[in-house]
Amino acid sequence: MDLRKEEQKSPSEKIGAVMVVGGGIGGMQAALDLANSGFKVYLVDESSAIGGKMAKLDKTFPTNDCSMCTISPKLVETGRHLNIQLLMDTEVVKVEGEAGNFRVTVRHKPRYIDVSKCTGCSECAQVCPVIIPGRFDEGLAKQRAAYKLYPQAVPNAFAIAKRGIAACRDACPAHQRAQGYIALIREGRYADAMRVIKEDNPFPGICGRICNHRCEDACNRNLIDQPLNISALKRFVADQVYAKPYQPPEPPPLIHEDRVAIIGAGPCGLTAAKDLRQAGYPVTVFEALPVAGGMLRVGVPEYRLPSAIVDREVQEIVDLGVEIKLNTPVTNLDEIFNQGFKAVLIAVGAHEGRKLPIPGVDLPEVLINTQFLRDVRLGGEGKQRIERLIAGRHVLVLGGGNVAVDCARTALRLGAARVDMACLESREKMPAHPEEVREAEEEGITIYNSRSFKRILENDGHVAGVEALKVTFMEFDSEGRLTLETEEKSEHVLPAQVVIFAIGQRAGLGFIPESAGVGVTKQATIAVNPNTYAATRPGVFAAGDVTTGTAYVIEAVAAGHKAAASIIKYLQGEDLEPKPKPELPVVKLTKEEIQERIERGEIRITPRVPMKAKEVTERLRSFAEVNLGYTEEEAQAEAARCLACGICSECLSCFYKCGLGAIDHDMVEKIEEVEVGSLILAPGFEVYDALGSQEFGLGRYANVLNALQFERILSASGPTMGHVQRPSDGQVPKRIAFLQCVGSRDKNHPYCSAVCCMYATKQAIIAKEHEPDITPVIFFIDLRAYGKGFDAYYERAKREYGVKYVRCAISRVAEDPRTKNLILTYLDNSGEVREEEFDLVVLSVGMVVSASTRELAKKLGVKLDEYGFAETDIFNPLATSRPGIFVCGAFQSPKDIPETVAQASGAAAAASEILAPVRGTLVVSKEYPPLKEIKEEEEARIGVFICHCGNNIGGVVDVPAVKEYAAKFKNVVFVDDNLYTCSQDTQEKIKKAIAEHNLNRVIVASCTPRTHEPLFQETIREAGLNRYLFEMANIRDQCSWVHMQEKEEATDKAGALVRMAIAHARLLQPLKELPKKVTKRGLVIGGGLAGMEAALGLAEQGFEAVLIEKEAELGGNLRHLRRTLSGQDVAQFLEVLQEKVKKHPRIQIFTNAVVTDFSGYVGNFKTSILVGPRMFTREIEHGVTIVATGGEEYKPKEYLYGQDERIVTQLELEDLLAKDSRRWREVKEIVMVQCVGSRNEERPYCSRVCCAEAVKNALHLKELNPQVRVTILYRDMRMYGLLEPYYKQARQAGVHFLRYEEERPPEVKIQEGRLKVSVFNPILREELEFFPDYVALSAATIAADTAELASMLKVPRTAEGFFLEAHMKLRPVDFASEGIYLCGLAHGPKLIDECIAQAKGAVARACTILAKDEILVGGIVSVVNPEKCAACLTCVRVCPYNVPVINAEGVAEIEPAMCHGCGICVAECPGKAITLQHFTDEQILAKCQALLERELKAIRQVEAA
Amino acid sequence: MRENFEPLIVAFCCHYCAYTAADLAGTMRLSYPPNVRIIRVPCTGKVDVLFLLKAFEEGADGVYVAGCLEGDCHFLKGNLRAKKRVALAKRILEEVGLGGERLEMYNMSAAMGPRFAEVAREMTEKIRKLGPSPIKKMPRAGSKGSGENKILDQVVNY
Repeated sequence: MDLRKEEQKSPSEKIGAVMVVGGGIGGMQAALDLANSGFKVYLVDESSAIGGKMAKLDKTFPTNDCSMCTISPKLVETGRHLNIQLLMDTEVVKVEGEAGNFRVTVRHKPRYIDVSKCTGCSECAQVCPVIIPGRFDEGLAKQRAAYKLYPQAVPNAFAIAKRGIAACRDACPAHQRAQGYIALIREGRYADAMRVIKEDNPFPGICGRICNHRCEDACNRNLIDQPLNISALKRFVADQVYAKPYQPPEPPPLIHEDRVAIIGAGPCGLTAAKDLRQAGYPVTVFEALPVAGGMLRVGVPEYRLPSAIVDREVQEIVDLGVEIKLNTPVTNLDEIFNQGFKAVLIAVGAHEGRKLPIPGVDLPEVLINTQFLRDVRLGGEGKQRIERLIAGRHVLVLGGGNVAVDCARTALRLGAARVDMACLESREKMPAHPEEVREAEEEGITIYNSRSFKRILENDGHVAGVEALKVTFMEFDSEGRLTLETEEKSEHVLPAQVVIFAIGQRAGLGFIPESAGVGVTKQATIAVNPNTYAATRPGVFAAGDVTTGTAYVIEAVAAGHKAAASIIKYLQGEDLEPKPKPELPVVKLTKEEIQERIERGEIRITPRVPMKAKEVTERLRSFAEVNLGYTEEEAQAEAARCLACGICSECLSCFYKCGLGAIDHDMVEKIEEVEVGSLILAPGFEVYDALGSQEFGLGRYANVLNALQFERILSASGPTMGHVQRPSDGQVPKRIAFLQCVGSRDKNHPYCSAVCCMYATKQAIIAKEHEPDITPVIFFIDLRAYGKGFDAYYERAKREYGVKYVRCAISRVAEDPRTKNLILTYLDNSGEVREEEFDLVVLSVGMVVSASTRELAKKLGVKLDEYGFAETDIFNPLATSRPGIFVCGAFQSPKDIPETVAQASGAAAAASEILAPVRGTLVVSKEYPPLKEIKEEEEARIGVFICHCGNNIGGVVDVPAVKEYAAKFKNVVFVDDNLYTCSQDTQEKIKKAIAEHNLNRVIVASCTPRTHEPLFQETIREAGLNRYLFEMANIRDQCSWVHMQEKEEATDKAGALVRMAIAHARLLQPLKELPKKVTKRGLVIGGGLAGMEAALGLAEQGFEAVLIEKEAELGGNLRHLRRTLSGQDVAQFLEVLQEKVKKHPRIQIFTNAVVTDFSGYVGNFKTSILVGPRMFTREIEHGVTIVATGGEEYKPKEYLYGQDERIVTQLELEDLLAKDSRRWREVKEIVMVQCVGSRNEERPYCSRVCCAEAVKNALHLKELNPQVRVTILYRDMRMYGLLEPYYKQARQAGVHFLRYEEERPPEVKIQEGRLKVSVFNPILREELEFFPDYVALSAATIAADTAELASMLKVPRTAEGFFLEAHMKLRPVDFASEGIYLCGLAHGPKLIDECIAQAKGAVARACTILAKDEILVGGIVSVVNPEKCAACLTCVRVCPYNVPVINAEGVAEIEPAMCHGCGICVAECPGKAITLQHFTDEQILAKCQALLERELKAIRQVEAA
Repeated sequence: MRENFEPLIVAFCCHYCAYTAADLAGTMRLSYPPNVRIIRVPCTGKVDVLFLLKAFEEGADGVYVAGCLEGDCHFLKGNLRAKKRVALAKRILEEVGLGGERLEMYNMSAAMGPRFAEVAREMTEKIRKLGPSPIKKMPRAGSKGSGENKILDQVVNY
């Protein structure tokens, strides 16, 4: 994937591409608008799929629409768009350059699955053994490390979560993937576990018993309780597999001729031999001893490592085709080369034990460790001799390592009367494994620590003891030299009759003469390059103990692997040094993280499962194995303790399972540079982590959830499948408390999160719909239902659903440990402390800007406000502080979905405005071959392609049988089955089949048309077939996946579905899509703020705009505003804007103008206007229409308005404040009344802007006259989002806020010339009286009178007279009729910045039409047969979009450009005069008939249809 | 006979909600009886009474129409029209003796995979209890439009 453009450009040239950062609903909308208006888009997201937070939601307020239903088509559209390139798993590193010409550096994080190859079949996840808390379900359900974010995710591809290298793997010299095989053990997949072990280590049974398991020392579980018993688990796997009869492996083919000799059949030599043989080299191993296995076989006692295990593991290597020559000591290295070997590996180990140079060591009872153990292990005469020597005697072993312990315990088993050990080291420093020491002591062995040995005492030519000294200090330096201090005069005698030296071993290098050219070190090891294991002579390699001195088996294995890799490189003539490769980080968990995971309930403290061992008395009777291993149950329980630190363990199960080669665990991070003209930041928000608010008990109490978790619980596809259950016991909660403002409106988050009141209301309603017995109670401060339709929703929640709202802040949540119920403590309305019990508590957590988003802003040089949101200007709400970088969504300020979507479109307009000259320069459009003509009478020639979908279909449905069955039908001329029909190579196969067999209809039987139909349609179009000659049979999602247990029935059903598709395909007709020219001009109705912004936007985008205003001048309500809440000058802004609009060469303005007629359709509208005062008419042709008719301040009938000039509206007050600032210095008291004409029966909506307006005027008053008393009488202060800090500022400035109750509104009277306001205070429970100088009424915002316009445009309005958008959530600036958009107060009351954003949004939506030269119409639309039409008007009546009209010929006509293709008119038409193309009655009935035709028990007997 | 009876049920599902819910049931691996076969329509508003009756005539033992939740229709009100037509078809089925309970209307959202599976189970169970459609016992109609037993002929002037 090369993102860079090939040709070079001068820096000043603009680039017609935009990068959108964040793939949530905002990012998707911006990307789509841009791509649809001629710009190339890079959509960047850190996650593996787009969809953001909205994809997690169950329903959306205030319509209770299913979130997934509405977002899913957007996902598909974004994912498939030719000019949107998805950059998933990607983050922005830096941005250089300037507006119009940026160079963006991005980092692609490895996904480990190739998105271009993955078909989303899910087989990787099915075999992935790693279970982690599900991210998408907010930790409430589990997921696998190989995952797709959610079922509908786009791209429809899996990803692998990999955090790093697990500590256990890192600690292991051979890098054994312990976490991987442990996970497989937990799943009961022992053969797979064995595979994972053996890929790193050929000796599972051996290492499972005698490894020093550094993995366990490194295990992160050490921080909690005890490390996993990894070696026992490994041994368990070997035990399980070896309990079954041995199946020799198939020897791999010999590919190479170069022979390799290995000297020494120990673990190192054998590991290398295996690797080399598997790579295809002939290998011969020379072994001096009569047995293979090296120290494993002759050094480790039988009771620890049974010979049978060693023999079995060696045998498997021999059976791979490795030749082992036993009893064949190599005496001369040159001899090997003379035999024709091209390379030699010396891996002779360290088998020479030694004695100390002290008197008495030559006595007959003085033995050496290696020889002693070897003789015992090899049995026969050597063993008998030793038995005779030891039986009944007192044995003393000198040494403190594992070999010493082995010698001691062996001596005990050979019948020694008593065995002691003595060593230099203190108990703590003993090199032997503590477990071994413990077992030795259990068996009765005494250990003398800190002793040095002076001589061996002799009595009559026999050993009589050892004279020892007490050691006070000892230390080996890095070169192995010993510093020793002993206590003076501490000589004492350790009694002994036999002495065994066990003080270390070294290699026997006698076979390497100096002339051999192989260098040897001072420590008598072979000198090698530690990276390559190459010795000083070319072709000679050495590894294992012979290079390092005595080490552990696992080190020998590791060295064997590396040496083999080097030898292969040597033989291939490559450089031996291994290439440096970027390593994953090692996962070391911190105590804090573990604590948090314990709190979240992800980790439970459970000590390790003990392994059973033989009783001591029983042990000593024989050399039988002491440790007994785990049972299956024990092993699985132990395996379940694993923390899965690395997340993906690289067990490679997915790699072997994937039939597409899509898995690549070696993927690494990639840095790339992308050139774009502008950027849009839409990174969204994260929910406040309520673990930070301990008083609410999230994490500590099972039944406290955050709102996003509860959203998942409500979701039908969530962890409980939509059943409302509480986590502690799965019971349906009866009483649910919602706590508002958690992480909002507090010290750390002094803003309002803008959505929580509504989402809590929604969750309460939905919970109640699921379980009618639930009583939801919402504890809140102000109920902020300020959006369109929100207040009505809130009222419905109270009245129809019985949701209880309690106005108070909760001080504490405590759990009843018995019932797990939660007790809430709060101060009620009257100030009394109350306690109430609930079954479940949901925290309405606020929005916060994530750390990674803050980091992003820092990298980009984008300024943030004090709360972390992107700093923007009220008059330019979509631009960040860095020119050319724009913002939308919750990163701009907390907001809901529709505002995000409107802003996203707006940001698209802003980002593309500066790039208008280079529109269309970087987009691609596809060239297709000419369409093959298909005549109506032409016989259908159908090709059927049946998919196995890996195992997803093929594992259930008998695909070959379905294929055979399909072939029998008439018209079917070609049938094929494919492993993955959607893979790239199969597309080519389909095209080839179309050409070769002259197919004219194509059927794919696979997954769902919802996701895959466009892909296959594209394929057949590329082969010259009309897209509509395609049909799908859904035999996966609706067959194999839901009938897994009934394979035969599923096969029958798949057959029936294919039969149905064939019946349909026979009747398919090519559908024409006709191009219609687009008039590149926009009409904007309304010349207020929104209308002016819209007209200016269109013009700046390079299109003509016609702006019509009913009044004499432009400006609308903005003319009445003086300043903003933040103190900016509105008049000045208006002036500049007016100038721009008036002077713009592409804008034509008509004032005093009204619309008199409107006709046409998207791309081709015609509007007549009447322009005063001269009353001339004009006809305007335009491609799009933007409705910005505005609204106005309600003239109150309440509160004596109009009867006294001291009673004014807020707008009037604003004007007065600006005009005559001196007057206000005299004023003593002002009372403001909120919700005048809003939130009542007549206008049951919130006017949204009045709280901010009142606070603004109050602050202005205080500024003019700090002594003035300002009292605001309110119902809820709806200072949402970033308005909240101004509310606080007003309180701090001394403005009084007094709440009144809806039922008892304030009263305004004029008493003896004085204004008197009285109001009942619900907290004091008493009437308060004021005598203000002025009363300011916060009057409602009402819509302009647009009844006539609405009926001309055929667009709907709400009951309140505002225009109704196409979809409350995702199409906030569109009308359902294409090509008509709305913005500003015409849509609903809103603030200046919101109007501007929406106006720009309308521009972006309009540009998606205007940018095209022509639009295609037709396809799946209804067509009228005029001969059958009786002009009964039924279609005209039933069409939801008012499309059908009775034309001049007196019959119904349906404009294909306007038809939505629902087919409602078809079903209703009494004369059957209308047909919905592609879904004709004939086609549907044919399907139906075919489906029921004959039940085939089947497939096998049916002949051609 | 009845014990071994496996009904054939046709489900007319709208593209935007019920069909999507059926796919989700698949993704969630929710099992339901294989007796239900889906015909996709753009909107349940497209489902003609004719389709419902034809399905019975061709041998369906049960039929149901599944659309978006009421108020959530992708095409605004198509599902409400379907509801009325289903009600009408039920009456016709009653009158011709097939029994109206063999036909149902369901509403679900695209996220309601479990509900789709539940409905499929519910309907299959119900039709199993009702037994095979009586129409199956009648001699099959010959060429189109001439069969005496066609329901459509019986209700031609409904």
